[in-house]
Amino acid sequence: MRVDDAIKRDPLYPQLDQLNNAIAAINFEASLPHAPLTPAQIAAQTKDLNTQLQAAQTRANAIIAAKQQEYTQQEHDAEVTAVKAAGIDPAAAGLGQVMNATSARQAQAAAVAAQQGYAEYQRGIIAQDNAAMQSVAQQLSRAADDKYRARAEQYQQNESDLSLKLAQEDSSQRMALRTQLSTLALSVDQRKSVNDQLAALDKKETDQLSSLRNADAQALAAYRKQLADQTSAQIRSQQSAIQAQTGAKLAERRNAVGAQLRGLGSAPVPTVSLPPDLRRQLGQIHQEYAAKFQADAQQAVEEYQATKSDLDAQFAALHGQGTTATGAAAVQLRALQKRQAQLQAQIQDQVQREAVRLAKQMGFSLVLDDVQAANGGYDLTNDLIHDLESQHE
Amino acid sequence: MKRRYIATLLLLFGLSAAIAPAAIAADLTDVGFIDQSALGNLPAFVAANAQLNGYKNQLNGQFAAAMRGAKTDADKQRISLQFQQEFSDKQNELLGPLYQRTQLAIANVSSAHKLSVVVDKRIVIYGGQDITNDVISAVRSSAAIPQPQASPPASPIGFVDQSALANSADVKSASNQLQQFQAAQQPIYAKRFKDASGDVAKQQVMADYNKAVQDEQNKLLKPLVDQTKNATAAVARGKNLLLVIDRADVVFGGTDITQDVQNALNK
Repeated sequence: MRVDDAIKRDPLYPQLDQLNNAIAAINFEASLPHAPLTPAQIAAQTKDLNTQLQAAQTRANAIIAAKQQEYTQQEHDAEVTAVKAAGIDPAAAGLGQVMNATSARQAQAAAVAAQQGYAEYQRGIIAQDNAAMQSVAQQLSRAADDKYRARAEQYQQNESDLSLKLAQEDSSQRMALRTQLSTLALSVDQRKSVNDQLAALDKKETDQLSSLRNADAQALAAYRKQLADQTSAQIRSQQSAIQAQTGAKLAERRNAVGAQLRGLGSAPVPTVSLPPDLRRQLGQIHQEYAAKFQADAQQAVEEYQATKSDLDAQFAALHGQGTTATGAAAVQLRALQKRQAQLQAQIQDQVQREAVRLAKQMGFSLVLDDVQAANGGYDLTNDLIHDLESQHE
Repeated sequence: MKRRYIATLLLLFGLSAAIAPAAIAADLTDVGFIDQSALGNLPAFVAANAQLNGYKNQLNGQFAAAMRGAKTDADKQRISLQFQQEFSDKQNELLGPLYQRTQLAIANVSSAHKLSVVVDKRIVIYGGQDITNDVISAVRSSAAIPQPQASPPASPIGFVDQSALANSADVKSASNQLQQFQAAQQPIYAKRFKDASGDVAKQQVMADYNKAVQDEQNKLLKPLVDQTKNATAAVARGKNLLLVIDRADVVFGGTDITQDVQNALNK
């Protein structure tokens, strides 16, 4: 079967084609070269982009803080209901009083401020962390390169020394043989014998030098591997240490923020112990609201990330590096791509369902897509197209 | 209701373009398929790939440092080859044993199910035997996987390596001409795009550009594609193969006819 051909004949395909053209048009426009901006214009637009980024961060933090407050309240109410249903006084169970409207707003404002402060601190620490790890890796790699170069130079020196030593050792013998060669009275055989002795001297020196060079090359290769393994281990160790320090700093700051938020209202000390079933129920209530908060917070973070990506793309375009759609075009592009994916999936599901139905109806045991040749098979495509078109008549 | 394959009608079908489905429906029970993406999501593969990515990032730093020290193009090429080899060696070290184990598992499961070919799930519309779970169980078990008792039986499904065929001089030349055509058309359509007012006009320009490229592609490449398909069909007929699919879609087994098709095209 040719699935792509069947999809093109689906009655919904013209809509998909239109979406594809709209997306292609936006991408094409983004890739076209634009008129260059002056430095003042670049500076002004950069400032505007930074303002938008800050606003997006503030918005995301505010949403997260509001959701936290909302779910904390809902969780509290659910816990009070459960405890009361078990016939226990909520205060005796350690559940705090519901905050009044004013203190709730104050607490929310403080929570937002604390979250923002923590987010900025986190960004700064992580940036420092990354710079430190990169610097460590570079330093250790450079040190390993220096050691390797020093070792290679040492071996080269040894080889030069050996070459000189061998030449000096054989110099008198070589001199004697050359002196013999300069004698006119030598017969052909005698001359050949002297030349052979000279060649043997040369070969002896070359062999010894080659042997040393081979040994040095192998030693260097092993040393390189050793250095690479050592450097990797050192980099990993240093990076782990930096990450552990960063984690400790962030945890310390997080605890400080948590203590600050907790200090906004203290819960009463429980005076009765709760039955195991009730404790389990309260645990489930907590997990349920924690999951809801996590989902909403994740959505807020994703929206912020999408905004940040778009702003990053605009920044890159500003500096002549971008070829992707930005701003309003990027928003339109994302919406179109979402509709494209949905419509593509809808058409493919329909085609798949009808293909399976036809295969069963016509008694086939196997239907494959993307077949190069089908001497012993049957092409279901036209039957499928006819089927799809007849359903929409 | 399955229908039986009739030898006489097979011969007739081999010569004819259109035959009623009742006469040629074949009862293929020796075709399996596997969801390769599910295999890739196994924890062992995920962990190995994560480790490989970490190594690659580390290697990138060393590569950049080495390239900065390179003085000549020959040095740069030597360094590139050296680092490519180091990455390839690491890839083999981390993923090689996993691939081998997976292939053994597929071979064993195929042998147990008496399959002659296993294809990728993405090309299966209907039918076939899904051996994904069996293979995953075999890979995940701690027991050693033995070599299969016998090679897979001869398969009525052949495969051809499209990437090898695409490396022919004719196809490369046609592809280059198409790229040059696209590069020449882009400024023309870019100007029309800028002059177009409104989304509808711009989308029409895109549709015109895509059609121009598609027409040129049909002119340059379609004759070569048809020639390859005819050669593939002829080779498949000669070897009594029911179907021929792309090498990229075959996971195990099948009958390789790439060389035969290349020989037919080179005649």
